[in-house]
Amino acid sequence: MNLIELSLVLLGTSVVAGVLGSLLGLGGGFVIVPVLTLAFHLDIRLAIGTSIVAVAATSSAGEAKNVGEGMTNLRVATFLAMATTIGAVTGALLSGVLDARVLFALFGVVLAISGAQMLRSHAPRAAVVRTSQTITAVSRRWDRLGDRLALDSAYYDEAEQVHVPYVVANKGLGLGLMYLAGTVSGLLGIGSGVLKVPAMDIAMHIPMKVSTATSNLLIGLTAAASAVVYFARGDIDPLIAGPVALGVLVGATQGSKLLKSIRADRLRVLFVAVLMVVAVQMVWKAVA
Amino acid sequence: MAADTLAYGALVPPSPRGVRAAVGRVLRLGVLASATLLVGGYIAGVVSQPSAFTSHTGEQSHLEAKASFPHSLAALWGGIGHGDGEAIIVAGILVLILTPVAGLLTSVVAFARRRDWLFSAIATWVLAVILASFVIGWLTA
Repeated sequence: MNLIELSLVLLGTSVVAGVLGSLLGLGGGFVIVPVLTLAFHLDIRLAIGTSIVAVAATSSAGEAKNVGEGMTNLRVATFLAMATTIGAVTGALLSGVLDARVLFALFGVVLAISGAQMLRSHAPRAAVVRTSQTITAVSRRWDRLGDRLALDSAYYDEAEQVHVPYVVANKGLGLGLMYLAGTVSGLLGIGSGVLKVPAMDIAMHIPMKVSTATSNLLIGLTAAASAVVYFARGDIDPLIAGPVALGVLVGATQGSKLLKSIRADRLRVLFVAVLMVVAVQMVWKAVA
Repeated sequence: MAADTLAYGALVPPSPRGVRAAVGRVLRLGVLASATLLVGGYIAGVVSQPSAFTSHTGEQSHLEAKASFPHSLAALWGGIGHGDGEAIIVAGILVLILTPVAGLLTSVVAFARRRDWLFSAIATWVLAVILASFVIGWLTA
């Protein structure tokens, strides 16, 4: 194999990572890192640097359409980014203090539980939680803040041909979970879309498609901060990361088109399947 | 968007369509600029050093992390001046990395122009945290 052939293979693999990444609101690192290290025996340092570039590419190319078309909830993304970015800084500061193997194992278990939760139908729960929330004075205060935030919105579902209005629940809990997700990405050097999507879907009752699109915007912001560090360290080889970035740009653009036409229940099943793959990868890292 | 014009009573507040459109435009622009640099840089690399790209050992140094490439702003600037393909690709990657931040900066301005001070402040706070982590990361790298 020569450099041109390698570039073409990387390009092809990255198109797949880009489609899945932007469709599911993940960075695509779960495809990129194993393929680069196992199939190409790429140095792990460069594989991680390349993966973080892929996350930025997935986010920007997918969101170039999603944001304008209202699939992404920009207010929710901005609100939650307060917590994910602070979490990412916390994680970076804590790394080295905590044992990464224990964290990987814990993370794998959390993912498996979230996956099981996500498969349960929860359509009528939004109204129930909303009612029970207003019982306590504390959550009444939160609701007043929630009204000022104006996070509730609607999106047009092309697959079902309906407008789907939605109410964003449990904003405080959502912020807390996003802080944890951000901390995990800082600690383990992974994009944590696998945690952000369940947090929005399960805890905040945001529709699946809006959750993955909004997560996709969030991961770009956290990736930007760490990518600069990888660049300065010399972990981003242009002849590896360049073809990957280009492939992901093409794939993620297609992924955002697919997000409009895919049925939400199928998207959920696909997400849980990928989440289980990532859970196994994490437990593998803990024991290997 | 039709979703904005349909009435859902109190359920759907006026959504920031202008803000979303502006952020979407900036992201599209960043992606296009980056893709142009990535493709242009690759072609420039192949044209200037065809043997490195077609020899059957050329890729090994890259896979084993032994290849040298620009990873400081000074090296990058010098490389682009000489029309070095790898430096142009690195520039494309940096544009890509900074595109989400440019989108965030756009939303700070766009929210403020709509007099949505609460969200302009939230977005500014997020931007400040990201810039702070740039600085921390750069100093400790």
